[in-house]
Amino acid sequence: MSTQISGAGARRKGLTLTDVLVTVVVSLVLGVVYHVWSSVYSLVSVLFVQSDELVYGMWFAASTLAFLLIRKPGVALIAEIAAAHLEIAFGSAYGIQLLLYSVVQGLGAELVFAAFRYRKSSAFVAGLAGIGAAAGSLLIDIYYGYVEDYATWLLIAKYAMRAVSSFVIAGYLMYALAKLLERAGVTQSLRPVDRKEYDALND
Amino acid sequence: MKRFFEPSYTTWLHRANPALKLILFVALFVMTMFVHHIDASFYLACAFLLLLFVCSGYPLWKTALLTAGFALVFVSASLTMILFGKGAEIWWSFGPIHISKESFYRGLHLGFRSIAFGCQGLLFVLTSSSTGLFYALMQRLKLSPKYAYSFMASIRLLPMVGEELRIRREALAVRGAGGSSGLGGLLRLPERYALPLLAQSIRRAQRTAAAMEVKRFDAGRRRTYYYPSPVTANDAAALLLLAAAVAAAFLLARNLPVFGLGDMRMDP
Amino acid sequence: MKKAAMDIAIEIEPGLETKRGKEAGREAKTKAGEPHGAAPDADAQTQSGYPDGTTPAGTIDREAEGEARRQPPEAAASEEYAAEVRALRLKFPGTQQLLFRDLSLEIRRGEKVLLLGPSGCGKSTLLQVLGGVIPRVTEVPLKAERLTVPDSAGLVFQDPDTQFCMSYVDEELAFVLENLAVPRGEMDARIEAALREVGLDLPDRHMPIGDLSQGMKQRLALASVLLLEPDALLLDEPSALLDPEGRRTIWEAVRRVSARRTVIIVEHRIEEVLHWVDRIVLLRSDGSILADGAPAGLFGRYRAELREYGVWYPGAWDDAYGGAEAGAADLAAENARRGAPADGEAESPAGTQRPGGEANAPRMAARPAGRAAPGGGEARGEAPAAGAPLLRLRDFRVRRGGRTVCAAEAAEVLPGDLIALVGPNGAGKSSLLLGLMGLLAHEGVCEFGGIAPAGRRAARETAAKHAAFVFQNPEFQFVTNRALDEVAFTLRSEAERALRAGRRPLLGRRPKPDAAAESGMLRRSRGELARFGLAGFEDRHPYLLSLGQKRRLSVASAVVSDKPLLLLDEPTFGQDARNAFAILDLCERLRASGHAVLMVTHELEIADRLATQIWRIEGGRLVSAEHTGRSRSGGAFVSLVSKEGTE
Repeated sequence: MSTQISGAGARRKGLTLTDVLVTVVVSLVLGVVYHVWSSVYSLVSVLFVQSDELVYGMWFAASTLAFLLIRKPGVALIAEIAAAHLEIAFGSAYGIQLLLYSVVQGLGAELVFAAFRYRKSSAFVAGLAGIGAAAGSLLIDIYYGYVEDYATWLLIAKYAMRAVSSFVIAGYLMYALAKLLERAGVTQSLRPVDRKEYDALND
Repeated sequence: MKRFFEPSYTTWLHRANPALKLILFVALFVMTMFVHHIDASFYLACAFLLLLFVCSGYPLWKTALLTAGFALVFVSASLTMILFGKGAEIWWSFGPIHISKESFYRGLHLGFRSIAFGCQGLLFVLTSSSTGLFYALMQRLKLSPKYAYSFMASIRLLPMVGEELRIRREALAVRGAGGSSGLGGLLRLPERYALPLLAQSIRRAQRTAAAMEVKRFDAGRRRTYYYPSPVTANDAAALLLLAAAVAAAFLLARNLPVFGLGDMRMDP
Repeated sequence: MKKAAMDIAIEIEPGLETKRGKEAGREAKTKAGEPHGAAPDADAQTQSGYPDGTTPAGTIDREAEGEARRQPPEAAASEEYAAEVRALRLKFPGTQQLLFRDLSLEIRRGEKVLLLGPSGCGKSTLLQVLGGVIPRVTEVPLKAERLTVPDSAGLVFQDPDTQFCMSYVDEELAFVLENLAVPRGEMDARIEAALREVGLDLPDRHMPIGDLSQGMKQRLALASVLLLEPDALLLDEPSALLDPEGRRTIWEAVRRVSARRTVIIVEHRIEEVLHWVDRIVLLRSDGSILADGAPAGLFGRYRAELREYGVWYPGAWDDAYGGAEAGAADLAAENARRGAPADGEAESPAGTQRPGGEANAPRMAARPAGRAAPGGGEARGEAPAAGAPLLRLRDFRVRRGGRTVCAAEAAEVLPGDLIALVGPNGAGKSSLLLGLMGLLAHEGVCEFGGIAPAGRRAARETAAKHAAFVFQNPEFQFVTNRALDEVAFTLRSEAERALRAGRRPLLGRRPKPDAAAESGMLRRSRGELARFGLAGFEDRHPYLLSLGQKRRLSVASAVVSDKPLLLLDEPTFGQDARNAFAILDLCERLRASGHAVLMVTHELEIADRLATQIWRIEGGRLVSAEHTGRSRSGGAFVSLVSKEGTE
């Protein structure tokens, strides 16, 4: 005869404080790493037009990684906004537009995850979410940068590179990172506890 | 950093309610996005640059230092359009580069507009504190405290992550794993840095969240606020100030046009 | 604590506290209503009183079973006890073993209790259960016949940097008051009072938390939980990560505020606590209670266990080193008998025998000499002739951000040296180590084995050949995903460096060592793991090792290539006594084989008992480098408890 106690269990359905805080720090760490990496990258890369598009996917990495770790609705959007918040708080020259970009990009990623009912967390789906976020950024670019007035070849090249980079970085790279974190035992406590674990108490 | 971002005097904009100010600035942003005339964008950039210097509350040299980045912003926003934009009246072309009259002015317009955006963004950031903003969002716009406190906590966590990044870099150098030799090394770099930093930060976030809930933090419960967030006459003053800047820019564009060109977008 | 409120509501003052109790019930739902197979009628029972299907987490009263009959009536029990668990079972997700199997413990109101036990026995988890953190805040599968927690508990955790969400002292304290819905007008006075209570005298309450010392942060954490007006204080190793001064002040503050409160403490360093607790509960490594009683009696009877569990009891150093240096003969015998550093963790992977006795890898002194050391000639394992300094500093200045952060006019490290680098926080100790490794810019002379490199790059490469460095947090040093690879990585990268010495291919494949060399390196890495008591953990992810094991792995991967000098940044900091002595024992053995060890430490006992030199750094300057008179040959080896695993 026994009684199962799970004070937190039912609450875990929505986003908890822990979920939000973890999402925010994931975004924070990736932002810091991105800044270091992109500075190295820009030294190494041969400067050709729009070459920065090749690392653009890093901007969406936080939202897919946060989702791959926590797997709940809303984290992809929060991760994007958190990244923008930190850029702004520490004096980025891009200010408010980052906030708008982040909301639209986050919604783009969120829509893809929602299309899979938040149940799929494969590298491919994460990659699609990255492309979703990239599509969001295109939407704002049209208003913000008149990109449709670029020469057609450039327009296609620019967004093809962005889509590929989003798919690879936000998808496969972040999936690999999530797997590494899993192996390191970091993610265990982020996921809801399995029912079997409770049953094991009765052994 | 902390000391650097402290205004030396305050203006209406500082004293305005941050939540309302955020709405105001987002509206301003959207409005600017729908400006398609180069004269308007030119004068908007000028007006907000002036406002930034006068109202940010920072000494001239600091503001100048912060706005120095705008040169880069201007170039990055305009150059691609100037060199590769569509246009009928070709001035110069070389290989894939076609500089046309349309693309040139469109590029300048984009540059001016991004300076206007930059000034607006910087003006908001320099006149508001993150803590004040989130307290206002909680009290005025009913933002759930769990988001507000998580975002505020992230500001405290950032220097720690920076410090850990430094340690990681040193540790990698000691172990002979820091050098990025070849493309493979470069690609592995994010992973090398991200894994330990993420592991540390995620655990820290979990512990911090637990500590907060142990102190009876509960997003669903009624709470009081240490910092009040009233709506005052300053908000009206801030609104008028911004509206005046925008009106001045539009009036000047109409009556004193510098370029005298029409809509910058291509006719469909 | 809402769950706590529930206890009151039901058992003590129903009228007074019902509202809070109901609130709590809404928050803390259980899985009771869900089909569970194992306990259908228990579910029905707990559910019955709560039409909305919620149940107060943690207050599960089971009258039926035999255990309950032996207990005093419910009402009496809960008035007497501040916290109580009966037949607690708890298991962390993903682990095979139950952490607790039917553990029962009662804590009386006003009692001051110290929980002791080996690392990994579940003391902290138990504390969090008693404090109502598990399962309300952190979900961990558990069940209990009865679980009562204090109606209002304040918890202080170990890490000073993970307890605050705001950036300023006053904001952080106000955060607690906001949670309690205290009117704004009352906040200032209460913040002031709380700071006074813990003895935090700040010039300005609106002070960045980042500017406080670690000890002050812990007192701030204490102040913030005092604002909850707790009737119980639960302290989870609050002084483990503090320097001696911080330890003293936090315990002073705790004593001052704990007069009428129930206090439950988990701590490895018990010197400051021992004389004022009423009761010690000693846990075994399997999470069961070994002893429970007044400190005086218990202390004498279980001294051996305390030692084995790694508790820093007063006299731990005397027991380990006997106050005098062991003779060389004893030492050899002792080592032959004991082998590798004792491994206190009870988490040997299934199917692998923990290394023991003679089966162990060779001792440092008896390492095979003919082994190829890939690092190049002068960095070979052979210790330089006695007398020739391994490291010589003249007018050495370490610079960071254009400023001199540490200066040393003259200092030398000789083979067989164990140097304690001491001094206040922020004096420049760590900077000196980083400067020696060539990681920070420096000026002046820094000779390794007579070689004075010119230029920063050369300095870094020379340092890397002659010195191994172990950071304070081992995790930052790990670069692979497997313990064995971690050690092999050092060998591999040195082999690669030797292969491509002179030529640096910009593109194309980097030269790789051949298969024979590779298998040699793996063999050597395995041997090294065994020598550090990590045999059987080859395939484990470094992050999944215990605290002590991580530390040993980081040292193992640093010393595997036999560099003459080992630099350590606070190697015993935050470690239990067993792990600390294991590390010191390794240092002593390195020393005995002609290596030298330079360690930053706050532990005065190390300086007193083990060091051959004490370098004192104050205000960014090496103010003294004195010889302690201790011999550079021989060594003091810890006489560790040898009955491990025989309980």
